[in-house]
Formats: sequence, structure tokens, C-alpha cells
Amino acid sequence: MCEYAGRLVAWLDGELPHDETTDVEWHLAQCEECRRAVSVYKEISRSFLDCYESSMIARPRRNRPRWVPISGIAAAAATLLAVVFLRPAHVEQLTVSPPPAVHAPAMAFQQPRAITAQAPARRRAAPAPHPAWTASEPKVQIVIPADTMFPPGAVPAGFNFITEVSFAPDGSPQALRVWP
Amino acid sequence: MSGDSVPFALPLSRFGISDREADALFRELRKPLLRYLVCLGLSQDEAQDVVQDAFLSLHRHVSAGGSAENMRAWLFRVAHNQARNRQARYDRRFTAPLDNGVDAPLDEATPEQAVLEKEKFRRLGVAIRKLEAAERECLLLRASGLRYREIAEVMGIATSTVADTVERAVKKLAEKCNV
Repeated sequence: MCEYAGRLVAWLDGELPHDETTDVEWHLAQCEECRRAVSVYKEISRSFLDCYESSMIARPRRNRPRWVPISGIAAAAATLLAVVFLRPAHVEQLTVSPPPAVHAPAMAFQQPRAITAQAPARRRAAPAPHPAWTASEPKVQIVIPADTMFPPGAVPAGFNFITEVSFAPDGSPQALRVWP
Repeated sequence: MSGDSVPFALPLSRFGISDREADALFRELRKPLLRYLVCLGLSQDEAQDVVQDAFLSLHRHVSAGGSAENMRAWLFRVAHNQARNRQARYDRRFTAPLDNGVDAPLDEATPEQAVLEKEKFRRLGVAIRKLEAAERECLLLRASGLRYREIAEVMGIATSTVADTVERAVKKLAEKCNV
């Protein structure tokens, strides 16, 4: 075997020091066997690179588990159901009588009194909570997998968001908070 | 691959690496790292996790005053070690690299050429599976564009050993593939 045979791949990769590179190149000009070997190594290296670069194409990215989009839809549906069905079935209409017209000058002191007098009427008109509505649990928490909201890799695995919906005593949604 | 435009958002600027450099590093190395890990046998999801962890480790390393020199080799080494740790943790054998239906781009090939190419890649795949782990890893890192010195750093071996290993691996592939 040729004494240069052990340095041909390193020469192809440009990894030899300058003097050795010159030496190998001078030898290649003389040696048919080494030129053929270099040609083979080039071909193998190119094929390996093709294989390597196509490896990402050959292995399509594993799709997210099927339960992930389903759980996302389920979470959205649960939110909707919570908003729709946890409300009281019937909400009484408030009948608020307009405040009496006050024909007093702008500096008159009777105006605040007139408002104070009207306030109890509003309180009396407020409906009692519906029997079906459990006022002791005014919040509903819904866990939404982060995978359903962000692209893969954007948040660590198993990272979830909690959504809290608060309801007013009359059953209407009051606030929506989302935190990790 | 999806998510190529994801920026690297860690604030490394305070530690000697400008935001632009950090972002360029992430864009340049994310895909080669993913490819290397997938070829080592990780699933793409696992590879994504490892790459993310590697960049977080880089952030911690630089934040702790570590050297910002040759971060390419540093990242590959961290990713390489994490892949090995996962292998040990799950106590399972990684699939052979470049296995499972390697398809070379053959858009413009005739059917005969396509068959020949496919056969060539099949033989190459068989030959790659028969290489020793170190030989395979050296070739994969070489295909990722790392210099021998960097491969040595990733694998924790001497540069001269890398040269010998690469030479030996290429010769084995040439013999097995009858090129």
C-alpha cells in the first residue's frame, strides 16, 4: 500500500498542514492508485453527505399526538359550556325609575339628596341569586395545554396555562384571567 | 423544517455576545444540530428538546463567565452528551443513523437512475450501520461541517485520533459499497 494512503481523506478535508498538503499533492500527480482512491473517497463523502442532508426529509417530523388538538377543542368547549350553562336560567329585568327632575340652580344642595333617595330603590330591585347558581364557587378553572396555543418547542414540554373565569353574582361572566 | 424563523431570545449581550451574534449562532447551528441528533437516533421531538437545552446551557455557561470561544464545538458537545444521557436514561438502543428510507433528491433522475441511486443509498445505509459508533459519529460531525479539531473537542478525543477514525470509516464505506 502506498505510504500516502493514510492521509488522503485528511487531504480531501483540507486538514493537513501546509507542507504536508504540498507533499500529498505532489504525490498525487505521480500516483495513479492514490488518485483513484481520492476519487472513491470523494464519491463516498458526497453520498454520505446526501444521505445526511436528506435524513431530515426522510424522517418527517412526528406529528403532535392526536389528543392535543382534541384537548384544545375540549378546553374551548368546556369554557363555552361553563359560560352558557353556569349562568342563571332566568335573570329578572331591573326596572329602574328615572330620577325625578330637579329644577334647581346648579349650586343647589338638593341634588345629592335626590340621588341618595333613589339608591335604595335600585338595591331593592336587584334579583336574588338563582337557586341553581352556586355562589360559593364563583370561579371556573380550565387547564389548556400550551401545545395548542404555541408552536412546538416554544414552551417546555408539559407547560400548561390556567384560565380562570369569574362570574358576577347574577351569573354573568365578569373576568377572564390566563396565567402559566 | 418548521420553526426556522424562531429567534434566539436569550439576552447574551451582557456577556460578550451581541444579540445579533447570538441570533446568528442560533440560526446557523439549530438545523445542523437537529440533523446531527436525528442521525444519532433521536426522534425529531427529542432533538428539538436537546437543541433547546443546549442553547439554554450555552446561556448559563456564558452567564457564569465561561469562555465564548468556539461555541459551535461547545454546542455540539453539549448536544452530543445530552443525546448520550438520554440513551442511557431510556435504556434503549438508538436506531442506526441514516436508517429508514433515506431518499436522495432524485427530481430530475430517470427511473433507471432513480433505481440505481436508491440501491446505492441502500448499500451505503447498510455499510453505515456496520460502522463503529465512534466512526459513525465522526462522519456525522464531519458532515455537519465541523473541523477535526472541533470533532475532537465534541467527542473528547485527540485530533489525530479523529483523523485516523475518519480515514478508517471512509475506507470501510468505500469497501462495503464497492465504489
